[in-house]
Amino acid sequence: MSDFLIFAIFFAALALMNLYRLAIGPTAADRQVAGDSADILITCALVLFSLYSGRGVYLDIAIISAMLGIIDTMLVGRYLDRGRWHYDADSDHR
Amino acid sequence: MRKTTFPAVLATFVVCFLFWLLLDFSFKPEELIAGAIVSLAVALFSARFFIHEKAGWFFHPLRLIKLLGFWCVTFPVELWKANVDMAKRCFTGCTNINPGIVKVPVDLKSDYGQAALANAITLTPGTMTLDIAEQEGQTYYYIHWIDVTATGEEAGEAIKGRLEKGLKGVWE
Amino acid sequence: MLIRIIADLLIFVGAVFATAGTIGVVKMPDPYSRMQASTCVATLGMLGVMLGALLYAIFVMASASAAIKVCVIAMLIFVTNPVGAHAIVKGAYRHGIRPDKPMEVDDFRRDFDE
Repeated sequence: MSDFLIFAIFFAALALMNLYRLAIGPTAADRQVAGDSADILITCALVLFSLYSGRGVYLDIAIISAMLGIIDTMLVGRYLDRGRWHYDADSDHR
Repeated sequence: MRKTTFPAVLATFVVCFLFWLLLDFSFKPEELIAGAIVSLAVALFSARFFIHEKAGWFFHPLRLIKLLGFWCVTFPVELWKANVDMAKRCFTGCTNINPGIVKVPVDLKSDYGQAALANAITLTPGTMTLDIAEQEGQTYYYIHWIDVTATGEEAGEAIKGRLEKGLKGVWE
Repeated sequence: MLIRIIADLLIFVGAVFATAGTIGVVKMPDPYSRMQASTCVATLGMLGVMLGALLYAIFVMASASAAIKVCVIAMLIFVTNPVGAHAIVKGAYRHGIRPDKPMEVDDFRRDFDE
């Protein structure tokens, strides 16, 4: 039983390592990518902890975390793309 | 602005309702009715973005089996190979890399086929689709590749040869 | 018992690939290579954990709702991750973020020179 707990702690530690890149990353894209992978690792840790404790609440939290992870990535990506939300394929690529 | 057609609404409604059943997994009548109302509202608003031509395409059993075969057999093999390659690069010091952006011609015609191929390429570690451009009737992908060993057609064969063959059986 | 061992092995494989991806994110020299390494976390790292959890939920816990929720989580990450990666790599390139060491082959800059 406790092997799931060990793996969950390991994944949380990997997420902390990602936070190091989030702190020092020289560009915005670096920070966003590190934050996104930390989000996925925390989702994995939540699933493992839910199996360890046998409570379904953590699985619901993991679903919400997986759903909302896309939004900030899209937001930062479109913001870096010079704020152009509607991109016309016929115009030139600037 | 595209028009909302009835077959498109029906197809979107069926997909949304199946997803509701998967998430909810209870068959009481009041929950089924609530799911149907929400799915119908979503289908009415989003069908014109979701489906452009033939609405019944997705429900053909042969195509469904081929698509399932692609995502369950062809793609995981490529995913495993690329992951092992990437993990080797990461564990040996992250120095033997040669990144670059290559331009690769793609033969798929359908919008959904191109989107699925671009997503499959992005999901494979080591390659990442930047942009899709169309010049003189031929579609090109711009792909960021971590270890550039070839350009043009050969690069396309090395990156997406097996994936494109698997998807061509579905979208042709 | 056998199912427990298989589930643990799958989770261990996932942990190995997640470690590789994290090392890549921290140590890779330029932003685009870091994005490539983070794909490793989102595919096999996540998939190994979810497959192990799925086996455990089906055969040991015997709970259908947990199995379906794990499936939904895996599907959500698998569908949404390439969309976000596509958006952020294109945004980063068009914003003007370039690696310190210039790329040898760069067809995008050749075609749409800024």
